[in-house]
Amino acid sequence: MITYLLRRILLMIPTLLGITVLVFTVMALSPGGISPQALIGGMDMKPEERKALQDYFNKRYGLDKPAPVQYLRWLNNVSPIGFHTDEQGGYTEFSFTKGMDLGSSFQYGRPVFDILKERIPITLLLNLVTIPVTYFIAIAVGMKSAANRGSTFDICMGISMLALWSIPTMLAGVLLLGFFANVQYLQWFPTAGISSREALDMPFLPHWNDSGFVRGFLLDRIWHLILPVLCLSYGSFAALAKLTRTSILENLNSDYARTARAKGLSEHDVLWRHVFRNSLLPLITVSAGLLPSLLAGSLIVENIFSINGMGQLAVEAVRGRDRELVLSITWVSGFLTLIGYLIADFCYMLADPRVSYD
Amino acid sequence: MSQPLLEVRNLRTYLTVNGQDIKAVNGINFSIGKGETFCLVGESGSGKSISALSVMRLLPQGIHSHPSGEILFNGRDLLQLDDSAIRAIRGSQIAMIFQEPMTSLNPVMTIGDQIIEAIQLHQAGISHEEAAAQTIKALEQVQLFNSQERLKSYPHQLSGGQRQRVMIAMALACKPQLLIADEPTTALDVTVQAEILKLMRKLQDETGMSMLFITHDFGVVAQMAHQVGVMYQGNLIETGATGAILRHPQQAYTRQLLAAVPENMVRTALIGSANQAGNEPEANQPASLLTINQLKVWFPIKKGIFRKTVDFVRAVDDVSLTIQQGQIVAVVGESGCGKTTLGRAVLQLEKPTSGSVKLDNQELTGLSSQELRLLRRKMQIAFQDPQSSLNPRLLIETALTEPMKVHRIGINQEERIELAGQILESVQLKREFLWRYPHEFSGGQRQRIGLARALVLNPEFIVCDEITSALDVSVQAEILQLLLKIRQERNLTLLFITHNIGVVEYLSDRTVVMHNGKIVEHGATTQVCGTPQHPYTQKLLAAVPRLMR
Amino acid sequence: MINNEISHESFSARIWRKTLGGVGVKLGLAWVIFLVFAAVFAPFLANSMPLLMSKNGVISAPVFNYLSQEDVWVLAVFFLALFVFRLKIGLGKRVLVYVLGGFLCAILVSLWIKPPVLIIYDDFRSARFTDVDWRIMPPIPYAPSDYLRDLGSKGLEAPLATDGALHLMGTEENGADVLSRMIHACRISLSIGFISSGIALVIGVIVGGLMGYFSGIVDMLGMRLVEIFEDIPTLFLLLTFVAFFGRSLYMMMVIIGVTGWSGYARYVRTEFLKLRKQDFVQAAVASGLPLTSILFRHMLPNGVAPLLVAASFGVAGAILSEATLSFLGLGVVDAPSWGQMLDQAVKSSTFNWWMALFPGGAIFMTVFSYNLIGEAFRDAIDPKLSRNAGVN
Repeated sequence: MITYLLRRILLMIPTLLGITVLVFTVMALSPGGISPQALIGGMDMKPEERKALQDYFNKRYGLDKPAPVQYLRWLNNVSPIGFHTDEQGGYTEFSFTKGMDLGSSFQYGRPVFDILKERIPITLLLNLVTIPVTYFIAIAVGMKSAANRGSTFDICMGISMLALWSIPTMLAGVLLLGFFANVQYLQWFPTAGISSREALDMPFLPHWNDSGFVRGFLLDRIWHLILPVLCLSYGSFAALAKLTRTSILENLNSDYARTARAKGLSEHDVLWRHVFRNSLLPLITVSAGLLPSLLAGSLIVENIFSINGMGQLAVEAVRGRDRELVLSITWVSGFLTLIGYLIADFCYMLADPRVSYD
Repeated sequence: MSQPLLEVRNLRTYLTVNGQDIKAVNGINFSIGKGETFCLVGESGSGKSISALSVMRLLPQGIHSHPSGEILFNGRDLLQLDDSAIRAIRGSQIAMIFQEPMTSLNPVMTIGDQIIEAIQLHQAGISHEEAAAQTIKALEQVQLFNSQERLKSYPHQLSGGQRQRVMIAMALACKPQLLIADEPTTALDVTVQAEILKLMRKLQDETGMSMLFITHDFGVVAQMAHQVGVMYQGNLIETGATGAILRHPQQAYTRQLLAAVPENMVRTALIGSANQAGNEPEANQPASLLTINQLKVWFPIKKGIFRKTVDFVRAVDDVSLTIQQGQIVAVVGESGCGKTTLGRAVLQLEKPTSGSVKLDNQELTGLSSQELRLLRRKMQIAFQDPQSSLNPRLLIETALTEPMKVHRIGINQEERIELAGQILESVQLKREFLWRYPHEFSGGQRQRIGLARALVLNPEFIVCDEITSALDVSVQAEILQLLLKIRQERNLTLLFITHNIGVVEYLSDRTVVMHNGKIVEHGATTQVCGTPQHPYTQKLLAAVPRLMR
Repeated sequence: MINNEISHESFSARIWRKTLGGVGVKLGLAWVIFLVFAAVFAPFLANSMPLLMSKNGVISAPVFNYLSQEDVWVLAVFFLALFVFRLKIGLGKRVLVYVLGGFLCAILVSLWIKPPVLIIYDDFRSARFTDVDWRIMPPIPYAPSDYLRDLGSKGLEAPLATDGALHLMGTEENGADVLSRMIHACRISLSIGFISSGIALVIGVIVGGLMGYFSGIVDMLGMRLVEIFEDIPTLFLLLTFVAFFGRSLYMMMVIIGVTGWSGYARYVRTEFLKLRKQDFVQAAVASGLPLTSILFRHMLPNGVAPLLVAASFGVAGAILSEATLSFLGLGVVDAPSWGQMLDQAVKSSTFNWWMALFPGGAIFMTVFSYNLIGEAFRDAIDPKLSRNAGVN
């Protein structure tokens, strides 16, 4: 068990390295590359000032060195084991507990770590709320479809799920915003952000006071999250519902279900006591792939709903050709994805006694 | 005569497949008395399983219908009962066990829980502890000890035989009056089968229950049944006492079926010196075609973070064997003994870890793939599974002529097609079958085509890897006779891999018995099967269910 | 025994027949064919210039003078495809003929077709073209880049809002007719779908096939590569590429293809691993057949089934990716595209439902059609869930 975990973690490292190399290469190969030209161009300065700024950037970020060297420098900064650097960009001693320096963003002028610290929790909140919602709806719909195979419900759901899956996220988001959050039509939901401005001052739970019902932080959050979560989840639960249905049908026709019926169990018991748990196994396997697609979906959803999460940050970073930010976002999302796989594998191992990892 | 426990009158079961009605069971009549065992025998598609499932009413809803018939159990018609009534009977008065023990048990529930569930279902108000106690008693009754541990095991942690015992324990937990067993030992090794059959007879003696036993193996029938019913295409051709049917079958189909059992098949005279193998001095033996020397095929087991090899699976462990030209050598053993790996390693389809294989004094191991390709003309293989032995995308013509083209047999395509046609005729198929696809043929026909493909290159040596194991008994008989015929025509040497002792005794000149990757005994078939020396061979032979006691 | 009708068709014929049985598939295919038709014949369906006109007894077809190189090439390739379809030669040869033919056409087109560089659409509404004996206009008499300045268009307008000019789907912010742009945008959607998926498929099949057949080190390295491309946030990589490399349609197609192959590689690898163990492959090896035959004649045709299903969904995914990129402002600039039009729907302050509904609806219908086709394929290929549940 432990060896399996260790092995997986070891295998994660080349993958993470590979991802960062890929993104770095893309940036380096692009016209304009990662030179200070891109950063200073457009600013209105005298030539000496421009030169001074350029020198500063070069020194500070090592932008005048060739690309592989730049990559290695960045790698050294990011890894917790490596060389300490001093102000001039030279190297001092090697240590095992250097700590990770993700660099500073060109655009915002702030350390990347701080920016990420602000943004990641928001994206994680969005995604982590979406996952249970998705699964819950998918399993409910899938089970009902399978149990009443061929019924009107089943056929309607089948087509609707496929149709839902086909709706592009942006269209759904735009339509949802347009109809449910717009002054022109129904204004049931807020248009932007994940909290109202007053929310930070509100107490956590809803309650009544003299001026009437106060939403409270919790409810306010939920109210803001409903549309984005809906937008993020519908694609996934369509696919999952179909998978659930297929899995349950397969298991209902299996040999062990027949044995259970031969023992005298009713169909209801066969479904819930025997088939249900076996049917969930493929869902766990699939959940590994869910997180990356949700992260990608966040990009769009956060954009539409103006939520300041990591997705929004990614778009801005890429637009601004902000090297440090882009690299860090890349490996953080890659890391989250790989952790997601690991957790999914672990859950599968808990659920299925046949699987043991040595 | 007391009232029979189960009486089936004029039962018809129709199945709806793709809109068509199939008469799976077409009006059968039989009865089972108390404490009696009734065997339903037949080939695949005869309707015996469907009959059993009809009694329990376990056929999937909406697909089946019973246009006529009654199933009287203790006087009540099971077909007329409503849902809750039939559920009360299932498991408690009539129980059923199935063929595949691995898939018939829920893989994510412990076996203890599964048996307790059966008990609690039919004994209302029983506590968990009491049910557990009864479970332990049931497990001990089927000779599974260490019951406390067993309660917490999962099905995949047990062997095939143990799982079948668990199934039996679960079925017997509520002390049913009738046990329906649908081919319960077909998927098990012969020695395990013998134990399970003995167990079932013992349980029947102890509890006085009746059994409806479905099988296709007449040997099993001879061991278990008091009464026999022979089914063919949904009809019950003949019923009667076991002894009477086996010795004096009345119907033509029954006679035909019994004649196809390898034990009953008459060994035609053998040609040449192969007949007296083992009796003549070495010098007069024909040249040895294949020499296997200390062959090892070991598969590494890798564990740990860096996947270091910690141990090996010794599939073939130091095997040495000589095969003379024109002989049929049978390699027999139970599952996992390494016979299939041996066959493939000889053909270099599986890379041997060490040792030598010489064909016509030409060393095969260690050759480059190019050199090996030229030698492949001489040695071919035919496989077990008719479903996967032919490329579903190719016409039979292409499948047969492509190897010819590669090895430059025949000047042009017309000649190759002519040769392919001739070979099809020699395996008793029509020439026009060249222009069809594999899915258009039955299992037996596909095995013949597989043989044709092996013959197309005119090899000297063919490995037959369980080629009849997936076939019905009558089809098997035809294929075995075909093999003898082509062996005679072409002076072929065959390595016949099988687990069926009856086939070995009919077909082969020499027999090799394998166990755990090693050869435990070998020699002339008459000697090995008549007077086995090694304890394992003795155990193996004693376990085979024979027709004649 | 059971007396089924045993069909004497080849494997692919049977799969096709089963797939095309359902209603959904027919609808999906109908839509896709409609799109293909619209894409190929776009310049004849929506254009500001007359198809055929007669002025002073002289018959001329102005449309043909203004066909761009791309238009001509697309038409040529379409007819070439029909021709190759009719040829009775093997699949490999057909593909070869088609590819070579396509190249030849491209070269010829670039040499011969030189349309005028500057087109002033207002001209076509001047007397020179209107004062004629008779003329036949395309069904939608607006070109996609015709901004209708002379008609005093004011930008975004709802369908059928303006009098005098019939805009069935309204106009977009620059004044051009939406329906015309939608028809011309079919090209981008279809080409993105097919070309990206094609690239991804080819890469995936090669890598997956190598991994599946050779195992060992090749497999391990290949799996790392697959994992890298799987884990990398695809959209993010796309964004990075586009932002750093500029916005060109061809670049986008190549990149969507290059980032999307990992799924196909996995499928091919799994299938090959399964197939290697199959008896007929072992028989092919035992017969001494050469490696190319084993791979391409025995293994690959039997392994493509799940690939086709995945490819169908992949085409849908590629279209969505392009739309997303356009939506995020990083899409194609000059040519009209559905995603770009959707982008306009969001950017403005009022909610222009026609800008969201029509392009969005078109994307939805296309993706839905591909999904329907993919589903039907999957049901045809996977025999496990057949209707006669569990009766052997």
